Amino acid sequence: MAELSLNKPRFTIGRLFVYATLLLGVLFYLMPLLVMLLTSFKSMDDIRSGNLLALPDAFLFDAWIKAWSSACTGVACDGVQGYFWNSFQITIPAVLISTFLGALNGYVLTKWKFRGSDLFFGLMLFGCFIPFQVVILPMAQTLGWLGLANTTTGLVFVHIVYGMSFTTLFFRNFYVAVPTELVNAARIDGAGFFTIFWRIILPLSGPIFVVCIIWQFTQVWNDFLFGVVYSGGDTKPITVALNNLVNTSTGVKEYNVDMAAAMIAALPTLIVYVLAGKYFVRGLTAGAVKG
Amino acid sequence: MAALDIQNVKKTFGNVDVLKGINLSIKDGEFLILVGPSGCGKSTLMNSIAGLEEVTSGDICIGGGAVTHLPPKDRDIAMVFQSYALYPSMSVRDNIAFALEIRKVPKAERIQEVERVADLLQISHLLDRKPSQLSGGQRQRVAMGRALARQPKIYLFDEPLSNLDAKLRVEMRTEIKKLHQRLKTTIVYVTHDQIEAMTLADRIAVMKDGMVQQFGTPQEIYDNPANMFVAGFMGSPAMNFLRCELTCGDGRYAVRAITKDGREYALPLVHADARLQPWVGKEVVLGIRPELITHVIPHKSEADSVAHFTARVEVAEPTGPDTLVLVELNGQEVDCRVDPREQRPVGTDMEFMVDMSKAVLFDPETEERLL
Repeated sequence: MAELSLNKPRFTIGRLFVYATLLLGVLFYLMPLLVMLLTSFKSMDDIRSGNLLALPDAFLFDAWIKAWSSACTGVACDGVQGYFWNSFQITIPAVLISTFLGALNGYVLTKWKFRGSDLFFGLMLFGCFIPFQVVILPMAQTLGWLGLANTTTGLVFVHIVYGMSFTTLFFRNFYVAVPTELVNAARIDGAGFFTIFWRIILPLSGPIFVVCIIWQFTQVWNDFLFGVVYSGGDTKPITVALNNLVNTSTGVKEYNVDMAAAMIAALPTLIVYVLAGKYFVRGLTAGAVKG
Repeated sequence: MAALDIQNVKKTFGNVDVLKGINLSIKDGEFLILVGPSGCGKSTLMNSIAGLEEVTSGDICIGGGAVTHLPPKDRDIAMVFQSYALYPSMSVRDNIAFALEIRKVPKAERIQEVERVADLLQISHLLDRKPSQLSGGQRQRVAMGRALARQPKIYLFDEPLSNLDAKLRVEMRTEIKKLHQRLKTTIVYVTHDQIEAMTLADRIAVMKDGMVQQFGTPQEIYDNPANMFVAGFMGSPAMNFLRCELTCGDGRYAVRAITKDGREYALPLVHADARLQPWVGKEVVLGIRPELITHVIPHKSEADSVAHFTARVEVAEPTGPDTLVLVELNGQEVDCRVDPREQRPVGTDMEFMVDMSKAVLFDPETEERLL
């Protein structure tokens, strides 16, 4: 009976305080999004005459269309659409390859330990703490040697290398909780290194794949620094294009177009998180509670 | 099915000698049990047989051929793991068929083999389930099914019953015994449970500190333990170890036992001979199992090997079929096994008879067998 009364929603001062705090938090985080959305649907006159939080006089999609197809990003005035697809061309291979390599690394570091494998993992973790700025010059040199300077392939390569520390960390920590007896059983059954990986380990890895893909997608998609340094003129990712669009200083500053372009740049990560967010939390806690 | 030969196998991890020269050999179709306390090296030895761990030196032969440096898949063995290690993403059917599939057995044959094994273990109705949908006992059966699916030379069981509850463990123990009697396969079985070892084995290797303490049939190990460790490890309740003085009169050897209230008895050592002469007057350890100290059974009490003594009942523990009575001899506790109807109340004196024909003596220093 005691449990029942506990579950009954009761409106107390404490509860009011909790909800109020939460509401404040929500407002704080949603405010910029709200301002961006509202502004992107306004006309320039509307923006100048009203205040930030006012609803638009009329909901106009002009700014979105302009941002997508005709806004000027530097010299070219084709909108951000080309760069949007560039970003996909960079992000998808970079995410998939780095995730896959992370899985393979994690598998080796937990189930096929070799002399010094823990040290190897420790050194690999350093990669998580190396700031982008430190990598820039040596990486530019390396890309030059590899003949990949100013190419999408080169940028993908950089993201794979940089992301692998994180993906390895994720998968290694996930696989530590997978019983090694499974691998031993499969070895006795006659399966080899890759068969065990494909048939036994990967089918268990769903949750951590989701975590890893969301993480890497967000990282790579939102990256600006590597994008601005290593991409060529036509292979720029959308983050760089957005910067160019906002900073192109000819005539009036079109806040509505800037906001629409920023929304376009942010949408894919938002969608990925909304679609897979619950698996993200589930995957992060999957190792903690053993089934 | 094949014989197994382990010659002078050593295994070292860093500075730690886990296996210090193991020699074991069993014939085709025998059931070998490796038993010992945690950390005695039995699991390491099992993994070495399986090929999951490389030995530091020594040889392992299966069916006459050396497999010491072969990878697990080429040793033609199957293993049942303590945690069962069922592949979580596969159905029971696929779990059982996995090894066959890897070995490129044609599909029709695979299906047939799965059916055969499922019939054998009565798990046909579970074939389409995932391991997570099975109970502990069912998982255990599937794990065994997976091992049985291709007929390998040797089956390895690594504490297969230790995750089951007590009742199920006894049932499965019987099942495994039946299975072995039917299939006549060579089995190596690791356990720390001495009852499992006694009930299942053709041969037991009792291990401690990376060495085989004794290797023999269950009855040999029980009746003729090589040292105090083996004697104390096998049997429940454990063998009594009584420190006492060895005496000799007219060429007849005996040990002296004194009760709490000062009554003195000589317990005769019927198998003793002149080799014990140097120990006369010194302290030895008498090893005697609780079931050899009983209430007085009239038709047995006149035999030469039987001695009588009277002592006060200190504690009585009824187990049902008989009652364990604790008495004190030479200031040490001694367990006796008496009929519940013959037991005297706690605190009163009771007459006991000791069958000394199976008594053993140990050196108190080295703990090795004297007699």
